[in-house]
Amino acid sequence: MTTQESDRMTDQVFAGIRVADFAWVGVGPLVSKYLADHGAEVIRIESSVRPEPLRRAPPFAHDTPGLDNSGYYADFNSSKQCVSLNLQHPDGVKIAKRIVEHCDIVTESFTPKAMRAWGMTYEDLCEVRPDLIMISMPMYGLTGPWSMWQGYGHVLQAAAGISHLTAYPGEEPIGTGVAYTDFLVPHFAAVALLAALDYRQRTGEGQNIDFGQMEAAIHATETMILDYTVNGREQQALGAGHPEHPIYGTWQCAARGDDDDRWIAITITNDTELAALAEVAGQASWTTLTPESLHSEIAAWTRTQQAEALMQRLQAVGVPAGVVQTPEDLRNDPQLAYRGHFWMLDHPTMGHRAYDGPSFRLSETPAELTKSAPLLGEDNEYVYKDIVGMSDEEYVEHLVSGAFD
Amino acid sequence: MTNSPAGPLAPFRVIDLTNELGQLAGRMLGDLGAEVIKVEPPGGDESRFIGPFRGDVVDPEQSLHWWTFNTNKLSATLDLTTLQGQELFTQLLDRADFLIETCPPDTAAALGLGRETVRSTHPALVHTSITPFGREGPYANWKATDLVGAAMGGLSSLCGAPGRPPIRPTASQGYAQASAQAVVGTLIAHYQRTKTGRGQHVDQSMQEAVTFTHDNAMPTWDIRGINNGRPGNGREIGGYKSGQYVFEAADGYVACLSYGGLFGLTARQTIEWLDHHGMAGDLASDEWLAKLDATQGLLLPPSGDDGEYLLEILRAFCRQLSRAQLVSEAQQIRNGWGIVNTPRDLLENEHLAARDYWVEIEHEEAHVTYPGPWAKLSKTPIAIRHRAPHIGEHNGYVYGNLLGLSDEEIALLSTDGII
Repeated sequence: MTTQESDRMTDQVFAGIRVADFAWVGVGPLVSKYLADHGAEVIRIESSVRPEPLRRAPPFAHDTPGLDNSGYYADFNSSKQCVSLNLQHPDGVKIAKRIVEHCDIVTESFTPKAMRAWGMTYEDLCEVRPDLIMISMPMYGLTGPWSMWQGYGHVLQAAAGISHLTAYPGEEPIGTGVAYTDFLVPHFAAVALLAALDYRQRTGEGQNIDFGQMEAAIHATETMILDYTVNGREQQALGAGHPEHPIYGTWQCAARGDDDDRWIAITITNDTELAALAEVAGQASWTTLTPESLHSEIAAWTRTQQAEALMQRLQAVGVPAGVVQTPEDLRNDPQLAYRGHFWMLDHPTMGHRAYDGPSFRLSETPAELTKSAPLLGEDNEYVYKDIVGMSDEEYVEHLVSGAFD
Repeated sequence: MTNSPAGPLAPFRVIDLTNELGQLAGRMLGDLGAEVIKVEPPGGDESRFIGPFRGDVVDPEQSLHWWTFNTNKLSATLDLTTLQGQELFTQLLDRADFLIETCPPDTAAALGLGRETVRSTHPALVHTSITPFGREGPYANWKATDLVGAAMGGLSSLCGAPGRPPIRPTASQGYAQASAQAVVGTLIAHYQRTKTGRGQHVDQSMQEAVTFTHDNAMPTWDIRGINNGRPGNGREIGGYKSGQYVFEAADGYVACLSYGGLFGLTARQTIEWLDHHGMAGDLASDEWLAKLDATQGLLLPPSGDDGEYLLEILRAFCRQLSRAQLVSEAQQIRNGWGIVNTPRDLLENEHLAARDYWVEIEHEEAHVTYPGPWAKLSKTPIAIRHRAPHIGEHNGYVYGNLLGLSDEEIALLSTDGII
């Protein structure tokens, strides 16, 4: 390590903070990614006996399924380390607790029965690490009649009311096309965890965080709850639309080469923007049309326009408009490029691949994605010997017994 | 000692100068116990005029949008377009730990909110800017509503049905994402400050916040050169289309997990379950069990006639039973199904009730039920303490107690339209 690199490491915000990350799939790994990308030593604890589901999910590098080939897993686990540990093995839990002894934070996202069955609840783990901060992130929280229910983000967006508001008007509640809450609630969980870490910094006291994903997701339904509790009204989905602004939607544009699925979002929130839109279209009469007529006029017009060029023209006169960007578009987006959103990192089996960095820029201590996602068990020797303190003999003994499977 | 312990951020003060793009950010810090002072222009913040309103009567004190996002905040009015207003604002910042604002980048300098300006006058402050595209860069001065954020960040390209317009959730996710992620950045900067005493600037972009909601679409493009698209009732994983997700039940909708073929990893148990209700058709036959064994572990659901036949059986089955019965029985065979809840369902939900989720907040007009804490911290609980403030409700506290102005000085500022 060069002096410069070593300075940077110690300068990173969470240098010296160590995390035992038992969480899997989306929510938990995205919480610990924030810590890892800002300098914490995050140790993922996984097993080949019951692999982290995302390691088995596509896309796979070289179109070859394999526990070390998933781009899905990789994107959520930059800057982290990984040990393999079979918690079902007779020595598994004992070894896990020896790791926790050296950690400031434990994260997990199983249904609550798992940590109870292993004897690794917050109370249990406090015995080995009294100032521990632990965050449990099951879908429905640690208690209550639904707490043992399992599921994924695509189901939780439905449970939290977001799918109810994501549909074409009057049609079935399809929800977003992504496991949406997996990309929403980690921010809330990270905030709770960071506040607890700040509190520990001031008082020396750790604590337990019961993070029910559904309860956080409900806070992203805008006025849906109060409109019901105050006005008795159940808000309904409006497609791309907005309850107060009639000209607010997505319209199809001209094909780009072979691609005839190009769309633009145009949103009009006041008369000035409407006049500006009319002027760009060269249709002064648009300011007097009914919303229904204007919708079809806009549709006929945008179909003749290239989406990117139209966005530029509308933004130039202050109309909030933007291309419905595809993943390919995002990789070519000049603003995201200016901000350096995507990081290119080398992975031993996957090669040179893109990773998402955090969406904010800290002026003094910006995020640093220090490495690509870990291979399963990549850091066994370092963690078990250098951190936990196992002798070579003990390490080999556990290896042979299958504790590290 | 009070009955309820203070939140983890109780020692800190936040100045909140945000519009709808960033109001959730200050709300989250307030929920964590910080004192959040919302600074609004005399006459009231523009977001007080965003509906819906209580009783559908437009009134800046009755906006449910305002109530939702400004709970746990205090209000002070201040005209920042005047020199005197800017001086008072500087004095407020002297007494603050955080500033969160949504000032458009091209007007920030005029208001004294340029990054370098704030850093030089208030080096210990954590200054967070939430803007549509970020404070700098080629799109920095572009405008964006929530839908434009959802479009430019890539979420809308993954929402809706093939051949039909891309959509967005009819509850602003661009704003929610920008705000929540900004708080993460803010608290990372704060943690650094606990070590060095120095603050810094946090530059949050809504577009970039939405970019991080793509699920697996970014690596799918990176690795396979395929854009996940709008799946309709379903989902695309790694460029492969999954099965149908949402089914109509006797009393609403259920969401079904179908990763790994239509019936997922538990296909055999699912067929037994359907058979138990006499709804499995011929799926329990050797022929079908052999087909399902052959597709076990495969990513793609059965296609063509087989796929449609399976879907018809599942649709018919779901229509016969209530959501609660479907989901509780599905969970017993480890199918991760869930209920598609409406607002009313949520308020009547037994699980949330058992966890004491909802809180009653006192308004002059009525007690109002709000969503409760979004995390349960064992020692320093999040608390929904009080309703959103009236316009300038806390001018006396802010200008008198905090800045030390006399009643006469405050009255004069009010007469002059500064506060």
